[in-house]
Amino acid sequence: MADNVPQLDSSAGALKVAAAIGRFASAGALKAAAEAVRDEGYRHWDAHSPYPIHGIERSMGIRPTVLPWLVFGAGLTGAAVAILLQWWTNAVDYPFLISGKPLFSLPANIPVAFELVILFSALAAFAGALLLSRLPQFHHPVFASEEFRRATCDGFFISIEASDPEFDEVKTTGLLEALGAESVELCRLPAAAPRLPRAFYTAAALAVCLALLPPLGVAWYRAAPKRQPRIHPLHDMAFQPKYKAQAASDLFADGRAMRPPVAGTVARGELDEDPRRATGKDEAGNYVTSIPLAPGAAIDKAMILRGKDRFRIYCAPCHGLAGGMPEGAAGEDAEKWQGMVSIRAARRAAGGEGTWTPPRVLTSAYVQDQPDGKLFETISRGVVNQEVRTMPGYAVQIPREDRWAIVLYLRALGRSQNASAGEVPPPVREASVSEEP
Amino acid sequence: MRDQVKRFRSGELRALGEIAPRAIKIALAIAAAALALAIVAATFDEQGPRRFFFSYLVNYAFYLSISLGALIFVALQHASRAGWSVTVRRLNEILAANMPLLAVLFLPVAISLFLPRWCPFSWADAERAAGSELIAHKRVYLNVPFFLIRAGVYLGLWAWMARFFLSRSVRQDESGDPELTLQMERFSGPAIVLFGFSVTFASFDWLMSLEPEWFSSIYGVYYFSGAAVGSLAAVILLAIALQSGGRLTESITVEHYHDLGKLLLAFVVFWGYIAFSQYMLIWYANIPEETTWYLARQTPAWLWASLALLLGHLLIPLVGMISRQAKRRKAILGFWAAWLLAFHWLDMHYLAMPSLSNARFPLGLVDLGLLVGLGGLYVAGAIRVAQAASLVPARDPRLGEAISFENV
Amino acid sequence: MTSPAIAISDNTSSDPRQRAPLITCAPDCALITETVCRVVEREKTPLAWYAAFAVSSSFTVVMFLAIGYLFLRGVGVWGNNIPVAWAWDIVNFVFWVGIGHAGTLISAILFLFRQNWRTSINRFAEAMTIFAVMCAGIFPAVHIGRVWVVYWLAPYPNQMQMWPNFRSPLLWDVFAVSTYATVSLLFWYLGMIPDLATLRDRAASRWRKLAYGLFALGWRGSARQWHRYERAYLLLAALATPLVLSVHSVVSFDFAVSQVPGWHTTIFPPYFVAGAIFSGFAMVVTLMVPARAFFGLKELVTIRHLDNMNKVILATSCIVGYAYATEFFIAWYSGSQYELFAFLNRARGPYYWAYWTMVVCNVVVPQVLWLKKCRTTPWIMVIVAILVNVGMWFERFVIIVTSLSRDFLPSSWGHYAPTRIDVAMLLGSFGLFFTLFLLFCRYLPMVAMAEVKAAVSHHPGSDHRH
Repeated sequence: MADNVPQLDSSAGALKVAAAIGRFASAGALKAAAEAVRDEGYRHWDAHSPYPIHGIERSMGIRPTVLPWLVFGAGLTGAAVAILLQWWTNAVDYPFLISGKPLFSLPANIPVAFELVILFSALAAFAGALLLSRLPQFHHPVFASEEFRRATCDGFFISIEASDPEFDEVKTTGLLEALGAESVELCRLPAAAPRLPRAFYTAAALAVCLALLPPLGVAWYRAAPKRQPRIHPLHDMAFQPKYKAQAASDLFADGRAMRPPVAGTVARGELDEDPRRATGKDEAGNYVTSIPLAPGAAIDKAMILRGKDRFRIYCAPCHGLAGGMPEGAAGEDAEKWQGMVSIRAARRAAGGEGTWTPPRVLTSAYVQDQPDGKLFETISRGVVNQEVRTMPGYAVQIPREDRWAIVLYLRALGRSQNASAGEVPPPVREASVSEEP
Repeated sequence: MRDQVKRFRSGELRALGEIAPRAIKIALAIAAAALALAIVAATFDEQGPRRFFFSYLVNYAFYLSISLGALIFVALQHASRAGWSVTVRRLNEILAANMPLLAVLFLPVAISLFLPRWCPFSWADAERAAGSELIAHKRVYLNVPFFLIRAGVYLGLWAWMARFFLSRSVRQDESGDPELTLQMERFSGPAIVLFGFSVTFASFDWLMSLEPEWFSSIYGVYYFSGAAVGSLAAVILLAIALQSGGRLTESITVEHYHDLGKLLLAFVVFWGYIAFSQYMLIWYANIPEETTWYLARQTPAWLWASLALLLGHLLIPLVGMISRQAKRRKAILGFWAAWLLAFHWLDMHYLAMPSLSNARFPLGLVDLGLLVGLGGLYVAGAIRVAQAASLVPARDPRLGEAISFENV
Repeated sequence: MTSPAIAISDNTSSDPRQRAPLITCAPDCALITETVCRVVEREKTPLAWYAAFAVSSSFTVVMFLAIGYLFLRGVGVWGNNIPVAWAWDIVNFVFWVGIGHAGTLISAILFLFRQNWRTSINRFAEAMTIFAVMCAGIFPAVHIGRVWVVYWLAPYPNQMQMWPNFRSPLLWDVFAVSTYATVSLLFWYLGMIPDLATLRDRAASRWRKLAYGLFALGWRGSARQWHRYERAYLLLAALATPLVLSVHSVVSFDFAVSQVPGWHTTIFPPYFVAGAIFSGFAMVVTLMVPARAFFGLKELVTIRHLDNMNKVILATSCIVGYAYATEFFIAWYSGSQYELFAFLNRARGPYYWAYWTMVVCNVVVPQVLWLKKCRTTPWIMVIVAILVNVGMWFERFVIIVTSLSRDFLPSSWGHYAPTRIDVAMLLGSFGLFFTLFLLFCRYLPMVAMAEVKAAVSHHPGSDHRH
């Protein structure tokens, strides 16, 4: 078998022997040979086969791997991590009661704990098996042999590395031959470890830099201030198809997106058993002459003050705080009695801008002689005079009870402007007289 | 090769031989004493005969589960054409063939149905069942005649299947006819299906209906998983006992213990999986008609039993049995088998007893007497079955494979 | 085959006196290597492969188009709506995860049970597992609506100072399925390293050598490597076995921890696991029968392998039938009118056709596998297997849709019908599955060569008996 020692080719000068390999006929022969090699005292050696051979660990003297302990440790770690994670997140940092379960509920934590035990253990088993076997290892003396390719197909090999203190080219190849190797070969490698070409490093550095560009661009875009709104690649829920208030819509004949309530709709709390309070008219269609009160309600000072309050908000801007200039005040500065809207509108009308119908004087007999129901209706529905709306309806703005309160206040206002001195309570009368200059 | 050296020698003792009659006598004597003790103890118990019938049911379910586990073991080995298990198969066949005795032992349970005040099944007592719409709804199923007919069907079916396997297996000891193996293999498939349904409904009838308003569809699987643990533990102990008595010293090797240990561990985990599944679903959904069952088992008197099961029936043996050596050393494996058998008994106790009383954990001379008493009868019955046969299927075609097999 | 001198054509004999051989060609390492590697190394890709690839990749494109449309328009493009808020998306998810159970079962559980015949089919089934889990993962990922924030499912410190709710079964699902995908991938890859080394060592071209060499990680088949490899394989098998049980159990928790009638029943976890194995094995048979014929693997994946797989299908079919029966009985026994209604509604309600398809395909049809003739005749078993897959899809449909469409309040009942996008995504997921599968068949070793070699050299029935 001497001619099995490989012939050196022309570049042999740069090569040195890195290992000796011998191929054996069968798994049994390999096992027997392994025992002999072990007994010779070699340490940097191995047996190679296309499939695991049972019992060869004993023949080679390989000690059991620590892998199970690694996996066991990883499993315990997984369990601890899972329980701590679930306890900390759900019971401590973000306590959130859900489906009536305790914040730290062990039964509910078992699935995740179990999965993490398995995940950690499996990762440890996989990584441990590779790292303990010193894989990945793309560079090894045995790969120099063409014949060694059979180790992953049908060949049984023993390799003894030159780094072994017992290694001797002649003695080691001799041993392999003596053990019945079918072929023996010396694997030679370049003395110096092969280096990657310089261009590879340049290309790798370039590739890394180029790969960094897109994330840098995104980071810059997100961080830099902008006048325009940012690009929204995913609309998420920011833009939704919907109508805003007062918008137009093609869907409805009237072109409005907002829909009026269906005819006959009654707002919550507005349904009243007494129609007089809603319309100001009795069953026969005549205006009521007294204020129809809700059951249990009474005409009192609070109601008058409420009416005064509402009057000053809704009515006074046109009609003036006192309800307009009474007849007895002719000759005075008319604007003093009018509301702000009325003053401005009158001035503009005088300047030829639009038209203005001055509001009725509320203390006049024309108004005060009307029944309460009529006043209520006017407040609610406004006034249309010869197809010109001169007063808007206030039913939308002013709740019904407040409109009746305003009616009450109107009566008080009318009385105040048309009262005789005898009707004024004495203390007030004295006070007002003494204030006269 | 090394395995050839381990060829089996027929010099070992493979039958119980002359010790059998004596053992039967001793077992029966112990049984008689223990049963008498139990009856006496029950008469002094404040719950009297009902206490006795409850305890009887627990221990009956315990010994029944060992035979049922053995029966399904035999059927599964045939269905999978297993080679390794041949040397321990006969032990299982014998335990399974104890079924006629168990059918006789069912009589006290049947009799209790006619003693409404003392009967463990509240649905059979018109007084206790009165006013329950749910029990009225179930009356079509839970009534005495139908219950007894079903019990007869289950026990008859199991006895027939066990008889089928044992008789053919014993016949093969004489003839060595491989056709018998094929017959058993063909029978094993349908047998497993029949077994699955019968065990499920038997567990519904005999244990789940103790709380007739409660229900759980996994209950049959739960009882089966416990039965598998119990019977594997029993077979391991039996094999150790026989070997220390000089029987089967060659055929049962450390490899068989290793495999039985692996299966035992696997079923411990399986039991844990099933028990957890049931608990999880009921705990999470939190529906009152289901949680009652667990609430009864979480009273101060029973909580420790629930926790003991979690630890002793799952976590401790899981850690203790995980190493290879724990399954290969007879002493360690025997310890765990005995441990698990004890916890399997506790499991049966836990299934049945809270419906007697959840205010206290009943454990006394009644339970002990019945455990030993029924155990004596069970052992005597098993020895009587075993007397007639070899303890190993001596001419099974796969016996050689079983003896020479090695775990890697 | 090149050396059929000692080949046995029929290894389905049930003679108990001797073990049938594992493979029907000679148990010769070089021959096994050649048979498997030939498929990967052939110069010209067969036309049929291209045709199949064209079809399956078109469906894949359809799927991604449908997903893109879904991203743009939202999940409203599906037919899901209250009360049927889960529908085809979850049906498909559970279906594919179920299919994904066979691979790890074959690799792990059958490994622990010393079923050597698994070596011929485990690689194939594991690949199928991984592709099925990939298909499965797509559905829950896209059904959350805003896919671009899917990372919110992961527990990571964030500026919102919120954490996922670990008491939710849906989060358990995330952990279970992602752990399963990871472990399956590790298991598959670890098992493939020696075979990748074989392909590396046989590679003729530089590129092949580089590609296979990179993934073979420098494997030398040394005894020290094998020792750790085998230990890791055993550990992964021991870990993957409870994992397989846990994954579909957790999927079943998604339903069973709720109170919806028809979902909340305690047998769900083992029943789902059995169903998953059932459908997974059916899918393996469906693919294996044509693949072994087409790629010339009939002697490695023999009729006996198929026979064994069919037995597992039969066994799991019986378990599934048992679960159907138990559920139905307990629904009546419970005395809960909602439970009973849910089950009667399945059988007699508007989706009765789905229910009866499920029962016929899952329980009735597989009963023909009691006959050895049916277990060993390829065309029969393929028909049975396809029907089983149909039935198992319908099982999930029945569970999800019938229970949701009619639960407690009749006033909130509804009816579910899928949209075209639903259909496109289901068909598309099959396209993705077959595309990946075809790529696997073309470029990776379909049979675990090293394991088959080990099994035939140690198998008690082989010529290497010892």
